[in-house]
Amino acid sequence: MVGRPLDESDLIGRAQRGDKHAYEELVTAYQGIAFRTAYVIARNAADAEEAAQDGFVKAWRALGRFRAGAPFRPWLLQIVANEARNRRRSAGRREHLAVRAATEEPSGGAAPSPEAALLTSETREALLAAVNELPDDQREVISLRYFLGLSEQEVAQALDLPEGTVKSRTSRALERLRESYD
Amino acid sequence: MTELERALTLLGRELDFPPEPDLRSRVHERINRKRRVGRAVVFAVALVVVAFGIALAVPDARSSILRFFHIGSATVERVHTLPPARERPLAAGLGPALSRHDAEARSGVPLVLGGVKPIRYYAQPGLIATLLEYRGKPILLAELGGDQAAITKKFVMPETRVEPAEIGSIGLWIEGGRHVLIWQAGTATFQRVSRLAGNVLLWVEGERTFRLEGDLNKRQMLELGRDITR
Repeated sequence: MVGRPLDESDLIGRAQRGDKHAYEELVTAYQGIAFRTAYVIARNAADAEEAAQDGFVKAWRALGRFRAGAPFRPWLLQIVANEARNRRRSAGRREHLAVRAATEEPSGGAAPSPEAALLTSETREALLAAVNELPDDQREVISLRYFLGLSEQEVAQALDLPEGTVKSRTSRALERLRESYD
Repeated sequence: MTELERALTLLGRELDFPPEPDLRSRVHERINRKRRVGRAVVFAVALVVVAFGIALAVPDARSSILRFFHIGSATVERVHTLPPARERPLAAGLGPALSRHDAEARSGVPLVLGGVKPIRYYAQPGLIATLLEYRGKPILLAELGGDQAAITKKFVMPETRVEPAEIGSIGLWIEGGRHVLIWQAGTATFQRVSRLAGNVLLWVEGERTFRLEGDLNKRQMLELGRDITR
């Protein structure tokens, strides 16, 4: 979903030595996934934007403690997710994820791909409604894993959970969703 | 991958996320602004450390200079008489023990723990504390991020020795006679009954203030402090 810069370790090394420009390249590369991660947790666009921004600033200050060679994306997302959780606690409107209007009708009358045909409009709406109804801890795991395409390991690190907990939450959430999908 | 999981993956591609904001320019502005402030603070702190060292080295200067000293989110204050306080457990006043996840969420401070082994976590807004064991002794590590929480320490000389410590951007070692510790969050003091504290290492690393307390000497405490932040 979000590409990694080819020379990521080089950029990180330069940023750790104080190169702001290198760090800004990393911000550009990861701002999309950082914002979306914050959004599925905070469920409010303004809060998500602030959380992602603060997360990047805090990550910059903490770069000295980043272990060379470790994956950068889950490390960054853990900081962003923590910021987003703090904002979720404050009062404010909580938004639900919705399907893009344009996807409801295939453009140009083209036949839907076999994959897309898996999901009829009704199924899509029902499945999304079921995801939105999940408890926060299960909804976060499902959203990061399937909607944002993080690996199980990355989800565990981003949410600061043991991998076993991510597995069990995913399994419980899929069980509940199966009722809406079948 | 099951059919349901494939359906969820497909659904993810069709979701209407809010437009992605341009964070690069805002982050650029903030890390530059903070850096300038940071340099000014480091310079000011360096001057204070020099003055502080001189004050400690010259007995006559002690009483006139060393009344207040700010280090990160902590204030060290010399008083003639200690306020009422008594012996309490290391984690007294920090609230119930929490999971690491809950402690980080409550404090808003991602924990920096290095390689040390934690026993319990505590948190208040702006402050995360970890009870840990080091060399077979219980040690309390407190980390304060931002300016939401603060520590005030009151001590009486000459019973308590206070000296600079080589750790972080600025460090302070407090040893000897007991001193009184008061935790604070915002305008509310969350430990209303002060407690007597033991040997303490205070230091600042980046924008975070660290405090280690326990029955260790200065060399041991510095070794532990560096393990935590390396």
